[in-house]
Amino acid sequence: MSTPPDQQRREESAGLMEYSTESLVPFGPIHPALKEPEYFKLILEGERIVNVIPRIGYVHRGLEKAAESRPWVQNMYMFERTCGICSFVHSLCYGQAVEELTLYQVPRRAKYIRTIIAEMERIHSHLLWVGLMGHWAGFDTLFMWVWNDREVVLDLVEAIAGNRVHKSMNAICGVRRDMPENMTDRILERMKFLTDRARYYREVIDTEETMLKRTENLGRVSAETAEKLCAVGPMARYVGLKHDVRLNDPYAAYDEVPLDVITSNEGDVHALLKLRLDELIVSANIVSYAVKNLPDGPVRVKVPPIIPAGEHASHCEAPRGEIFYYVKSTGGRTPDRVKSRQPTMANIPTALEMLKGQTLADIPIVLTAIDPCFGCMDRMSFYDTETNKKWTWSGEQLRQYGINYYFPERAKQQRKFARQMGSSVNESLREAL
Amino acid sequence: MPTRKVGAVIPEMFRHMLEKPTTEAYPFKPIQLTERFRGKLDIDPAKCTGCQVCSLVCPASVITMVDLGTRKVGDRELKVRRPLFDLTSCIFCGECVDNCAFNALELSKQFEIATPNKADLLMNKAVVK
Repeated sequence: MSTPPDQQRREESAGLMEYSTESLVPFGPIHPALKEPEYFKLILEGERIVNVIPRIGYVHRGLEKAAESRPWVQNMYMFERTCGICSFVHSLCYGQAVEELTLYQVPRRAKYIRTIIAEMERIHSHLLWVGLMGHWAGFDTLFMWVWNDREVVLDLVEAIAGNRVHKSMNAICGVRRDMPENMTDRILERMKFLTDRARYYREVIDTEETMLKRTENLGRVSAETAEKLCAVGPMARYVGLKHDVRLNDPYAAYDEVPLDVITSNEGDVHALLKLRLDELIVSANIVSYAVKNLPDGPVRVKVPPIIPAGEHASHCEAPRGEIFYYVKSTGGRTPDRVKSRQPTMANIPTALEMLKGQTLADIPIVLTAIDPCFGCMDRMSFYDTETNKKWTWSGEQLRQYGINYYFPERAKQQRKFARQMGSSVNESLREAL
Repeated sequence: MPTRKVGAVIPEMFRHMLEKPTTEAYPFKPIQLTERFRGKLDIDPAKCTGCQVCSLVCPASVITMVDLGTRKVGDRELKVRRPLFDLTSCIFCGECVDNCAFNALELSKQFEIATPNKADLLMNKAVVK
């Protein structure tokens, strides 16, 4: 007589448990307030990650389909809202694809203004990222300082575009607002300030114990692997690949401004930090040059609402890497098809390679290192296959675990502090400590 | 191999300790807005002709045209339409302001428009009824 299926399954799984030393840690998936949440199934052996299985598509918003029912100009505002950090470059890339179909030329002054805004956006995005890296490494002072300096560039963007994040600056064949008068000196002064600050942060990152301990020799990927997995943006440049759309296929005014493409051969997270700060200095130089050499002329050409039939693809270098837009028109008021590809999507395979071989404590910092566009770190649950015990960690607890793993003395002090503070310290935080 | 030291942050730390807070004292002091700031939409009903261009260009479908009967111009009967603005979904892009040929619209500097009553954010109600 055969055993009942339930019992058979139980026996099978019991047998598996005996031999398996691997444990499964589901990581993610969703934080409703953020875009692009992701789910990573981590397979750990002890403390080390041996394999990562991603699952994407949790917040599929149907932007591409929505674009098919909206007029050409209105789509520009919708695609600007793809991302809350690098918003301008999305509308720029979509706009460029449409402009190629219209046969109108973008005025030279508009190209310069686009370059200025795009580079300011890169500066603010990189500063934001450096701050976040400081936060996850347990160096919150750096986070505060960097975000304070980020206000400088955001104020400039606000003075030019009227808003800090969603600039609504782009139009098809031009920009909607000219540069304000008498801004040149202010911009040059602020860019010099930001260059000095970037140099200072580079020194801090190079010498500070906290950052060195958390980022050195972490997330190593070989150049061949990164190239094979199609890494884009800083993720390709930190292993020595000279991939930059601004250099390889110049758009806007990038063929006229001085552009250095920074690459690094170290290939760890520490190199990524230095690379992004160096890129920030290059961006500040580009802004200074473009402001000084701003050509005269109109900033916009009026385009009829009907775009001629045809198709075109356009790509741009967003702060996180290459973005890509494909546009197809049948000669109507709305596009027939729009396709967009964002850099985080291209960088996920490389991120998985970076995660392999790292410890559980390094997950937040390695995932932040790719400058992801998702907020999956706010929920993490554990499942112990031997004792059938389940428990959950929030993002804050995971961060604390990471800090404690590397700085046990500091954890001891914090535990002491928590005891002294008594009930005023969050219960869950005390558990993590 | 970089040298490890703690010294780089100490002068900076003292500088920040002596500075005044960098955050804005916003609810207690009015906030400084830039010249190009885009706040709540304002309409001048006297200048509006009901041409409906604003409702065609709005990316967020904020503006709907409401029929208000007809009026006689010479021998012809023309429809009278006026826009109704639902600011709950306004994205403050300023596309309607740019496209208004009669300068009836402008974006004001007012940004404190949170309200418990949704109907407060319907604009041009008085004209449309």
